[in-house]
Amino acid sequence: MTNRFTRIKWTILAALTVGLGTVPVWGSEYAMLFFMLFCIYLALAQMWNLLAGYSGLISLGQQSFVGLGGYTVAVLSSYYGINIWIGVVLGGLASVLLALLMSLFIFRMKGVYFAIGTWIFAEALLVWFSNWAYVKYGSGLFIKPTNDLSMEAIYYAAFVVGAGSVALVYMLLRSRLGLGLMAMRDDDQVSETLGVDVFRSKLYCFLISAFVTGITAGIFYVFQIFIQPYKAFAIDWTVKLVFMVIIGGIGTIEGPILGALIYIVLSQFLAEYFSVSMLILGAIAIVVILVAPKGIMGTLQEKLGFEILSPRRN
Amino acid sequence: MEGLAQDILNGLLLGGLYAVVAIGLSTIFGIVRLVNLAHGDLMILASYLSLFMVSALGVSPLLTLVAIMPIMFAVGYILQRFLLNRVLGEEMEPPLLVAFGVSIILQNLMLMTFTPDARSLMSNLSLMTFSLGRNLSVPVLYLINFFIALAVIAGQHYFLQNTYMGRGIRAASDDKYAAQLMGINTQNTYAVAMGIAIMTAGVAGVLVGMTFTFYPHSGPQYLIIAFGVVVIGGLGSMKGTFVGGLILALAQILGARVFGPGYQLLCGYVVLLIVLAVRPQGILGRG
Repeated sequence: MTNRFTRIKWTILAALTVGLGTVPVWGSEYAMLFFMLFCIYLALAQMWNLLAGYSGLISLGQQSFVGLGGYTVAVLSSYYGINIWIGVVLGGLASVLLALLMSLFIFRMKGVYFAIGTWIFAEALLVWFSNWAYVKYGSGLFIKPTNDLSMEAIYYAAFVVGAGSVALVYMLLRSRLGLGLMAMRDDDQVSETLGVDVFRSKLYCFLISAFVTGITAGIFYVFQIFIQPYKAFAIDWTVKLVFMVIIGGIGTIEGPILGALIYIVLSQFLAEYFSVSMLILGAIAIVVILVAPKGIMGTLQEKLGFEILSPRRN
Repeated sequence: MEGLAQDILNGLLLGGLYAVVAIGLSTIFGIVRLVNLAHGDLMILASYLSLFMVSALGVSPLLTLVAIMPIMFAVGYILQRFLLNRVLGEEMEPPLLVAFGVSIILQNLMLMTFTPDARSLMSNLSLMTFSLGRNLSVPVLYLINFFIALAVIAGQHYFLQNTYMGRGIRAASDDKYAAQLMGINTQNTYAVAMGIAIMTAGVAGVLVGMTFTFYPHSGPQYLIIAFGVVVIGGLGSMKGTFVGGLILALAQILGARVFGPGYQLLCGYVVLLIVLAVRPQGILGRG
């Protein structure tokens, strides 16, 4: 019975993944744009979820890595003519270095202080980049691909980070690190006594999240062609991610998928009224925290005892 | 050295304004253990309310405080009583995230109601100065900000130390269950504390609106200033809030003098991050 159920589940998942991966083949241009944005926000939200939902690190500074990832691609492609995909990966590595630097300051802080510290770091980067002649101050940089770039290529890159982020979190949680993380989430003092290195586990998650966020942002800005500090380092990025994950279900792998889908649908319907869509998202998020603190997926799992992607090993 | 004395004077006076921006955030963290991410946006809401009254009634912005203070008290009370109290618990994250939601809702409501244009609360005070010797002059508005800040902090201190409600608030903050056993309605107490905090944010909003231009999205900028002040000075310490305000403002103004005006904010952040890394409990904080 369970076996049959598992087989059906994996077949459906595989079909959905293949469907998402082949949108350029079967879909319209609009469908491609829609699912590309979905993949990008999914990857970013999944990384915020890895921090907030599993490591107990509420980061309000994901935009630091978004901005740095984007600017790395911009600088490398337009000043040095380096291949754009190499630039994207280097953007991820640059984000890891930044995360290491940040950790020197903010890993001494707990909970709310960590949240504030990450945000202040991002604001400092915003001010720095908008006063930095090398990146043309606040007026921004263009991203110049060295060779012709098709929309399909950008789509596949986005698909890789979107689906990859889900697979990465799934595997991470089923690894030794993930086991430690879940023990920490439940009780960090007891788990430390039992030999979980709390500091190191949290640091690894922070670095992984920085890497994937940096790469994803690089891909996003390859699509956007243009980057400006006031957009790239804006708190708006984290605002969206927080809402997506809370509405979908914090601390579940499926939550960010649903949250990203809801966000993209809402923002497409209300494309001309950005404020209204943020207003609605904010209101839904508050209602969710009040009524169903575990989000839509978390509540469903609790009620039905059913997980699509379970971090537990059977 | 030209103008250094003037910069230091401006920095000290600006520090008073920063202290009043931060006092509400610090108070509510100390009492309810809540980081009110909507603090800055509630401040800017008060700036817009004051602007509305100034243009409707033609009065001086300072006079609108008479109405702004009770309105903002009510806003804070309702916010805490009917929304934030429901998510208070062992964990600090749910109230943090609810406040975050409130912040985004307020920003977008203000954007839709008041348009994204820059506004300011003009008054004949903005340009007045009086001189102290050859190269030193005092901007009257900054001086007024400084004294109002002192009055707000002193008033709040007096309230918390010497009134029955103030003692109740402090008792609820020290030990919620013991306070409840002594007959204190902690739900109401927290709401009154938030009302007072948002009332000080209202005062800060009017002063900031008179001193600088503001936009619907200005809230986070002042929230970060408030964080800076609170972190530098140490949470929950009134004296610390005042000293924190002075240090942050001086760091910004002197930083702008040395590195150029574009780096004013950055210098403040750097000082803040250094304090956080070296002495996370703040300069005057205990522990």
